[in-house]
Amino acid sequence: MRSRITLYITLGALTGSAVSLHAQDRGGTGKAVYEKSCALCHAAGIAGAPKLGDAGEWSARLRAGIATLYRSAVAGTPNGMPAKGGNLSLSGAEVRAAVDYMVRSAGGAPKSSAVPGGKRATASARGAAKPAAGNPAQIGAAPASKPARETPTPTVVAAAPSGTPAQAAIDPNAFNRLLAPPGGRNPPPAEDGIHDPGNPGIHALQPPLESFQRLPRANAGNRVNWVAALGKKQIQPRWDLGDPQAEPSAMDLNIVREVKGSMPDVVYPHRQHTEWLDCSNCHPAIFVPQKGANQISMAAILLGQKCGVCHGKVAFPVSECRLCHSRKKDAPASSTAAVPAAEARK
Amino acid sequence: MRPGNRARAYAALGAAIVALTLVPGGARRALAEYGDVVINNYSDAAGVRPAVFPHWFHRVRFRCKVCHSDLGFKFKAGGNEINMLKIIDGQFCGACHNGNIAWSVENCDLCHSGKPGTPTQVHESTIQQLAAPAETPAAAKK
Repeated sequence: MRSRITLYITLGALTGSAVSLHAQDRGGTGKAVYEKSCALCHAAGIAGAPKLGDAGEWSARLRAGIATLYRSAVAGTPNGMPAKGGNLSLSGAEVRAAVDYMVRSAGGAPKSSAVPGGKRATASARGAAKPAAGNPAQIGAAPASKPARETPTPTVVAAAPSGTPAQAAIDPNAFNRLLAPPGGRNPPPAEDGIHDPGNPGIHALQPPLESFQRLPRANAGNRVNWVAALGKKQIQPRWDLGDPQAEPSAMDLNIVREVKGSMPDVVYPHRQHTEWLDCSNCHPAIFVPQKGANQISMAAILLGQKCGVCHGKVAFPVSECRLCHSRKKDAPASSTAAVPAAEARK
Repeated sequence: MRPGNRARAYAALGAAIVALTLVPGGARRALAEYGDVVINNYSDAAGVRPAVFPHWFHRVRFRCKVCHSDLGFKFKAGGNEINMLKIIDGQFCGACHNGNIAWSVENCDLCHSGKPGTPTQVHESTIQQLAAPAETPAAAKK
């Protein structure tokens, strides 16, 4: 009997309802965390932050589900919400408790929206809560250490309508089902899928958003425009290991490569590249420094050769066609080749 | 076994199940930063976590040239045959990770922070993006 009860507790934890169950116990924590770390913006609505008690603003944000809201709070958003409200010493559970507190203040019910359609699981967890109430921390401990998006199980997903990002990823008719949801970009190391969340050292690692918030945005890669960040001196990466004053001698020479088909020609700027790199990084191993000596194709680049040694790994990815293919072809040159073909089709 | 211990054991079991069933499904596309390199040449075999190198963090502080020219890092994930002996002798990562410029080698966990079993790769790289659709149905089945 005892083991069955504990099994129910575990199942309850699995379905994620224990998070909201736990949140009720943590009402005090939520308020305390809010006052310490969130009130600065959320009390007055600074920088677009939804105000405490403003039902309209909060219900708009709750529409995507409480799990999405948790995630935005933990990972931050490009709209100005810093990861964990800027207080990275907070645990995920504390941040979620603060979110629950703010949602409740606006008349929202984090529990009902947390697991839509998951009433059965919630009920079983609630039923099991009493015998184990002597040590509530244990119940909450397992799910609380997980990122919010991981809490719903596949079984719950099957029963529940879509709402949380994890469910949307599994829903076959979900919009943009293969893309990472915008709110989930640049997550902290513990939630990024390659770091081991069980590593005791993980919280010493810097969350990317803490750095990226101050930098110009881009549409791909790290979603940071590194060249602009360097140009505006928002970052000062050293050119020499030991000498902070050393400066590169940038080479201002554009190479135009005329390309086949209708794509605009490629303008290769030496300047932006020599700000970061030494000549010997590319010449002569990757590119022979001689006009016409280098066969470059998109196929090679996609496979990680030529420009693809960096672009598609660390420099902006190949999805940003126009950043390289930037010079419109001369009208006469393209018209001689393209017009007869277009007319022949008519 | 005391009931309290048993409950704890079940909670731990539950956490393990969550981790096993959800991590591959929920995070079937890792959200790791573009350019994060996992280096797992010897780590798994040696029983430590694979090392994770965040390009973004380092490019905020150093130009590419410092590592890829001065320190001799090749443009190839896992292609540099780095080992701890070289690092404590001041080569590769050890040029900075010596307690003077960056944290020293005693802080094993800070570099060796990857999930065990993660192969050597550059995250979000074009190659990985191309491979993703092929992997997705298998991951979705879970």
